[in-house]
Amino acid sequence: MTSAYILEQIANGIILGSMYALIAIGFSLIYGIVRLINFAHGDIVTIGAFAMLASVVVLNAPFALAVIFVLIVGAGVGMLIERIAFRPMRGAPQVTGFIASLAVAIVIENLGIMTLTAQPRNFIVPTWLSTFVPLGPLQVRAIDLTIVVLAILLMATLALFVRFTKVGMAMRATAENYNVARLMGINIDRMIMLAFAIGSALAAAAGLMWGSKYSQISPLMGLIPGLKAFVAAVIGGVGSISGAMLGGYVLGLAEVLFVGLLPPEYSGYRNVFVFATLIVILLVMPNGLLGRSTEERA
Amino acid sequence: MERHSGWLAALGAALLGAVLVYAATATLDPYLLSIIAFVGINIILAVSLNITNGFTGLFSLGHPAFMTVGGYVTAILTLLPARKTRLLPDLPAALSHMQWPFLPALIAGGLIATLVAVIVGFPVLRLRGHYLAVATLGLIFIIQGLATNLDGYTRGALGLNGLPELTNLWWVYGWVLVTLYVCWTLKHSSLGRTMLAIRENELAAACLGVKITRTRILSFALGAFFAGVAGGLWAHLVTLVTPTSFTFLLAFQLVVMVVLGGSGSITGAVLAAAVLTIATEALHPVEEAVGLYGLSQMLLAVAVLMVLIFRPKGLFGMAEPDLLGWIGKLHGRQPTRSGSKCHREV
Amino acid sequence: MLWLEDVHVRRGGTHALRGIDLEVRRGEIVALIGANGAGKTTTLWAISGLLRCQQGRIAFAPDTQRLDISRMRAERIVAAGISHCPEGRQIFGNLSVSENLMVGAYLRGDRDGIEQDLAAVHGLFPILATRAGLPGNRLSGGEQMMLAIGRALMSRPKLLLLDEPSLGLAPQLVEQIFDILQRIRNEGTAVLLVEQNAAMALDLADRAYVLETGLIKLAGDGKALAQNVEVRRAYLGVGP
Repeated sequence: MTSAYILEQIANGIILGSMYALIAIGFSLIYGIVRLINFAHGDIVTIGAFAMLASVVVLNAPFALAVIFVLIVGAGVGMLIERIAFRPMRGAPQVTGFIASLAVAIVIENLGIMTLTAQPRNFIVPTWLSTFVPLGPLQVRAIDLTIVVLAILLMATLALFVRFTKVGMAMRATAENYNVARLMGINIDRMIMLAFAIGSALAAAAGLMWGSKYSQISPLMGLIPGLKAFVAAVIGGVGSISGAMLGGYVLGLAEVLFVGLLPPEYSGYRNVFVFATLIVILLVMPNGLLGRSTEERA
Repeated sequence: MERHSGWLAALGAALLGAVLVYAATATLDPYLLSIIAFVGINIILAVSLNITNGFTGLFSLGHPAFMTVGGYVTAILTLLPARKTRLLPDLPAALSHMQWPFLPALIAGGLIATLVAVIVGFPVLRLRGHYLAVATLGLIFIIQGLATNLDGYTRGALGLNGLPELTNLWWVYGWVLVTLYVCWTLKHSSLGRTMLAIRENELAAACLGVKITRTRILSFALGAFFAGVAGGLWAHLVTLVTPTSFTFLLAFQLVVMVVLGGSGSITGAVLAAAVLTIATEALHPVEEAVGLYGLSQMLLAVAVLMVLIFRPKGLFGMAEPDLLGWIGKLHGRQPTRSGSKCHREV
Repeated sequence: MLWLEDVHVRRGGTHALRGIDLEVRRGEIVALIGANGAGKTTTLWAISGLLRCQQGRIAFAPDTQRLDISRMRAERIVAAGISHCPEGRQIFGNLSVSENLMVGAYLRGDRDGIEQDLAAVHGLFPILATRAGLPGNRLSGGEQMMLAIGRALMSRPKLLLLDEPSLGLAPQLVEQIFDILQRIRNEGTAVLLVEQNAAMALDLADRAYVLETGLIKLAGDGKALAQNVEVRRAYLGVGP
């Protein structure tokens, strides 16, 4: 086990963590405002990957434009899901909302299977991103570097937006106290739509990253990453954006190190590890690392 | 006197059912018989999930995990020893040489599933609402992962095939009766009322001295037992069990059955299970014809969404008598309220 | 400028308001007193639009035009000039003090006006200026109350709805707050004050209403009601 190997695992962990962080932020953003887990969030990751593939293959778009296209598609799908499955459930019991988002997830997944078949497809990465970049003792693929940089860029933009703009402040207020936010004149419907739009755009971005990293995409690819990102959000504290970022990297590193440092026969247990961690965290630290204890959790 | 007439009616219904099963077995073709068997298994699943979700209000998606456990245990026990030693090298010698008859195997499957439920339940059942849902979802993946990776014991991703086709309509019917009897008795016992109390208002129940954790674990475990048995029945109907036999999609369908039927209503769960199973089966030829696999699941999900959108509070909501309570009334039963707590004002 | 006519509100299965009539005129302080559960908070929620009234009408005339706000959304009612400072203060704990105040001015676009009002609020409650950067949940109960009122004033309302400002506060602080309410009234903002502390409320108010299980039982001049035998017995703890 050389130091180069460990560094390589850490690098992989950071890459994986970047993707988890983006998806987890989406969960927390949405949960923070509507107090519901969006089970279809993982499927937006899938949609992001396919949108990227489509824009590169079908539309022949340059990379930067394709990314923007993916963000827009993600935001659009997110707002659609909000309109169809979440807005009608406002005021209904928590369980109803969960079932509704489960139903949406199933619809999207089956639509994907029906139109695109369950066969995995190859993801296309532009050649200039497939080269290797030397980074200290490591050789990192340009695409992986791009993933991390893009993720950090998106997260930083979001952080600035939430902290320093009026609308960002309104979103924070809405997340904290829905009714009093209305008393300030804040349009709750718009805040919720905005949360879904931003959260889903980030998830879609994670989708394109995932496709680039693993070279293959399929209609069900987003399901498990979505669930794992939920675990990340829980680690960081559901509802907290900085918590989601932290949780994403913690989980990414933990998962990669679990597989990388243990003997190979244990690598199949990576999912067991992640979900067992979920249960442990929910019991030991239900508010996560950075969360606020405003929830009826345990 | 009403009690006696209630008992007689139930006995009569059971006998009628037996007659129907006999007639069906004698006359119908295997395909239709298997569909009826699936209906029966789904009834067992829905009714047992009703104990966990409906009576006690625990939003558990864990049934598929317990089905997997029960299915594998039953399968391992009923397999021929020769096959066992060949396929499952890590199995302890004592097990490898045994071959159990169906009934003990099923019960063992149920009991091991119950054991898993109790072990997992102690920590997990401290959670509430959708956190519990996601934790039980995680359980599905954990069990899937274990089944896939402990391939010395389970043959990994390939699963166990060529299982003896031991399940027939009589077995299913028998277990349906057992499940219904247990649920029915539970509902009208003080334990059942305790569970309902927990669902309605946990704090008040605790103040009245109800042992919350213990009751929750009990209801979780009871549901798991029947799920395990159902898993065993299923495995020996389709003669195959794999780590992905029972997925979260199934969890969704079961939750839908329980919730649509009216959380807490046994009759509702039975009817919903029957209707949904038959509808899904009926759609399969359509799927084949159009080449769109997954259509039936999607339509179910869309239907659920429609129902939720147009009556989100109506079916799930606050203190509404269960829709099928009138059937219960005919039999002298009390309708249950399918209420659940509302978490949002305005 | 505010009229409630035969307003009925059903809330969670109970008939909380059973046809109440109420009026607040320009530049006055009106107190709404009553026991717990009488429906006082429900009344304020109905006015500010957080609850819908099933029957009856609520009208508001910020200037010359009379608006029917019975079915209006809460966000638009705020825009019309009603500001609701809810029960229990309910400031945004995760936002800083200055952010809390700025969110009160969310609907306004006039930078200068907002600056002015911010200075005015700091004038009323100097402690808010010193604590400007702190997150709201680090303030004491009394400071939070001041923040809540300050936040409500930042929208430059024509009518301020105040729900139980004295709750959980030391008597000295309550006096301070009530003095400030007088100043607010004198500067032209009408106030509808819901209070459990009937004695202080009646002392401060120009007019008052007594609410009992969803119905207005008594109405009149503040001082007069304070002398009323029934009121004295039920709410002021005085008499036989």
